[in-house]
Amino acid sequence: MADPLTLTTTPRGGHAVGIDVRGDLDHATAGELLEAATAVLGTAALRDLHLDCAGLGLCDSSGLAALLVIRRRAGEAGVRLHLDHRGAGLDRLLDLTGTLEHLTGDPAPPPGRTRDAEGVRGA
Amino acid sequence: MTRTWLSAPWPVLQVDAEGIISQANDAARSLLTGAAPGVPLDDAVPHWLARAAPGAVARGRVGESLFEAHPTVDGAGVLWWLMDVTERERVSEALRDERRRTAFLAEASNELLSSLNLDRCMEVTARLAARHLADAALVILPESGHRYPVAYCGPDGRVVRENLAVDPGQVPGLEEALRGFPPMPSRWIDPAAAPGWLAREGLGELGSVVVTALPGHGVPAGALVLLRRAVHAGFSAGEEVFTRLFAARAGAAISAACLYAEQASITEVLMRELLPPRTRRLDGVELAARYRPSGATALVGGDFYDLHPGAPGEESLVVLGDVCGKGLEAAVLTGKIRDTLHALLPVADDHQRLLSMLNQVLLTGERNTFVTLVLASVRRDGPRVRLRLTSAGHAPPVIVRAGGRVEETHTKGTLIGMLEAVTSVTDTVTLDPGDTCLLFTDGITEARGGPLGDELFGEQQLLEELEQCAGMPPEALTERVQMLASEWAGGGDQDDMAVIAITAPVEPRPASERSPAR
Amino acid sequence: MTAPHDGLAVWADRLWDAAVAGDEYAAVDVALAALDAGVDMETLLMEVLAAVQARVGREWAANRITVAQEHTATAVNERVLAALAHHPIARRAARAGESGAGRGRIVVACIDGEWHAFPARILTEVLRLRGWRVDHLGAQVPTPHLIAHLHRTAPDAMALSSSIATRLPGAHAAITACQATGTPVLVGGAAFGPDGRYARLLGADAWAPDARTAADLLAGGPPPRPALDRQAVDDLPHLDDQEYTFVAQSGPRLVRAVMDGLQQRIPEMASYTARQRRHTAEDVAHIVDFLGTALYLDDPELFSGFLSWTAGILTARGVPPRTLLPALDLLGARLTDFPRATGMLAHARESLRGDEPESEEPAWRTR
Repeated sequence: MADPLTLTTTPRGGHAVGIDVRGDLDHATAGELLEAATAVLGTAALRDLHLDCAGLGLCDSSGLAALLVIRRRAGEAGVRLHLDHRGAGLDRLLDLTGTLEHLTGDPAPPPGRTRDAEGVRGA
Repeated sequence: MTRTWLSAPWPVLQVDAEGIISQANDAARSLLTGAAPGVPLDDAVPHWLARAAPGAVARGRVGESLFEAHPTVDGAGVLWWLMDVTERERVSEALRDERRRTAFLAEASNELLSSLNLDRCMEVTARLAARHLADAALVILPESGHRYPVAYCGPDGRVVRENLAVDPGQVPGLEEALRGFPPMPSRWIDPAAAPGWLAREGLGELGSVVVTALPGHGVPAGALVLLRRAVHAGFSAGEEVFTRLFAARAGAAISAACLYAEQASITEVLMRELLPPRTRRLDGVELAARYRPSGATALVGGDFYDLHPGAPGEESLVVLGDVCGKGLEAAVLTGKIRDTLHALLPVADDHQRLLSMLNQVLLTGERNTFVTLVLASVRRDGPRVRLRLTSAGHAPPVIVRAGGRVEETHTKGTLIGMLEAVTSVTDTVTLDPGDTCLLFTDGITEARGGPLGDELFGEQQLLEELEQCAGMPPEALTERVQMLASEWAGGGDQDDMAVIAITAPVEPRPASERSPAR
Repeated sequence: MTAPHDGLAVWADRLWDAAVAGDEYAAVDVALAALDAGVDMETLLMEVLAAVQARVGREWAANRITVAQEHTATAVNERVLAALAHHPIARRAARAGESGAGRGRIVVACIDGEWHAFPARILTEVLRLRGWRVDHLGAQVPTPHLIAHLHRTAPDAMALSSSIATRLPGAHAAITACQATGTPVLVGGAAFGPDGRYARLLGADAWAPDARTAADLLAGGPPPRPALDRQAVDDLPHLDDQEYTFVAQSGPRLVRAVMDGLQQRIPEMASYTARQRRHTAEDVAHIVDFLGTALYLDDPELFSGFLSWTAGILTARGVPPRTLLPALDLLGARLTDFPRATGMLAHARESLRGDEPESEEPAWRTR
């Protein structure tokens, strides 16, 4: 059922490396991405890590956890993480979990019609 | 007529119609010393041959050897050709024995391997041993709680399971066999010295008693005691070897069953802690929860829920969560989260604060996994139910109004356990009688399948289906939702699914006013 | 002592009213009042509770109650059952069964994918009343859980319930797996056919049409332990032709092809809502499921029976079953290489043209 994950790492000149992520990022495959990205983060003088998500299929909670760990390790290495060509599914997941801004630097869209703790609905 | 048979290498006798030997060749004379022409057959040969009818092959012993007598009739009487079949018979007897043993070992393996249940394995071992190896058999396992688990099978084939407080030291070799050290072949013991729990009533006089170790997977599984009555033969060397082969199989099966039982009981203890609570009411609010772990083998997965009833008139807290990951690791993290939330109940009136504190606790761990949660603080207010709902990275709850309207709630927040700071927005909802608030994990909305095979069940479809569910009691509603998602997923991979329905009762009659049974 | 039959019908009517109204308290009161009036517990379970639950299925099929009412009534019935299970009569029996003096231990479960838990619950309560110790594992039990439980507890017998015929291939696997642990298997539920023919076909050690018969059967002692050298593959030699495998594996593709074809043949489908379209696709998926099951069991009647029943369901809802025949044709066009499937489709087409749709037993409930 699940698409197997394929990862292609390509130097992008200067101080950037791209990883093309194709297939499903789930419990079975998240570790592979984490390993590949961690290897790249060891590269000297790296400044930008691009994960190209155009070919990303499903991303489940394990996939999201892997992205968050990569983000942290990138931060520790002084590398900026880019999640390029994100599809609607990934954006929805990042938005729902409140991690969009943290992972991409983009501000999260306002939550629904924002209501504060005082807002009372219903009867 | 040439008597060529006179020089045949087999004994041949010619007998006339009166039963008198008329000729005997050399081979016959050297086998049957009295056989000579003119001697009545009766006086010269064993009874079986003297009585043999000339129409059929006869069999019998001459001295130590076994012979077949083949008759041929010629003009002068009957010719008996005697053939020594001792060796052939021994070989085919050995072959029959071997086949019987192979069949028995195959049967034993089949029966023993079919069950991982300790009692069953002990019973099967005792029964097979009593039936095939002895008159009665006793399987005894190493001490457990100052007693020895025993399975005894008597000549009637009935197996009795007991736990006996006995001293294995009474039986020579039994302690060593139970310890599995030092290694030794089967030990013969004096039947007269066997204690009553071995030599049981109904067995009669014992001829032989043998103790054999049951070797397990690297550890001793127990011992097998075989008992034969005096009227039966003792154990031959071949039988002893064979008994050891059987003991090896039985020991392996018993040992596997022991390991399995141990594992199962550890899992059971852990799971009991982790299994979600069962309750139907929280201070006048109706509630139903359903949980189905993913994967055919897991009993507990990454989804969980918890109920923390408040004092009457106070808020109760309902938590639904989804831990990232699977299996034991997820289960352990689930336990930690549930414990932490329990400890944080005093701050439950401030969901954001509670979530921040939980986040801090989880950040002290490995920080490579997270949990998403919905907190629902529930308070009965007259006929209504007031809810404070906060999502931490989780799908927001849905309200199913008694009239059939379905509404999404507006709460949102950060997942817990990976980011330094978390934020959240709480929504407040009031349920009128018959209204339900539904909490669910993504195993529902992300069930993949459907008639076309690869579509998500999806939130939209959930909302549509819920429109048909207005006014259902919470159990029916949760079952309906879980059933729809499960059937959508069909036989495909299913994620954990958890659903909770919180309902404002239509008829406010608390359970305490009624007795469920008279 | 048993109340006269019409007396029971009155209790059943009263329970029905309360169940459909969703009034749990009234429903429990009816059941307790029946006990007080001298109806014995087993009779109450079988001839009032189980009878009302069967009626829920019939009324749904005839479109006289909604899905919501159906689920509500079932939930109320389950609450009544739970209340009766806590009644002193039932608790005394359960305690006796769990003591050493009990008759033995039976495990009761629904097979994986089976949601209709009520018949199994009734069986559990009846067996407890009859002195058995019962482990009730509930609805939807994955076979590995079942096997783990059997290894742990080594019961005298396993009782498996299934109401939907399309679960039979899975039930077959479950039966064989249970027997491989040396546990005899008793099966029941509408899925196994009115005369239990599929129970025999799938190698079950015993079959019972209802809880009371099952209890009577077990009263003579559990079935003997099954032979261990049985191979599931020997039960159904026709599976060798791979027709079942093909239909089961390409289900979604077949559904898609039939849906595409239907859209061309039935113009009004263009104006279907997403929901209507999904329901049509689900109906087609059920047809494919049933065809697969009929191939598994090699029983054309199962397939044509399902179609007649579906026609009845659709007619009861004012939906002309006109998508059924073209769906069969479109399916047939995809399965020309499969003689058994082709034969079953032809047989079903004939019987669909021939008979008036009926809706009797809810053996083919799917939603």
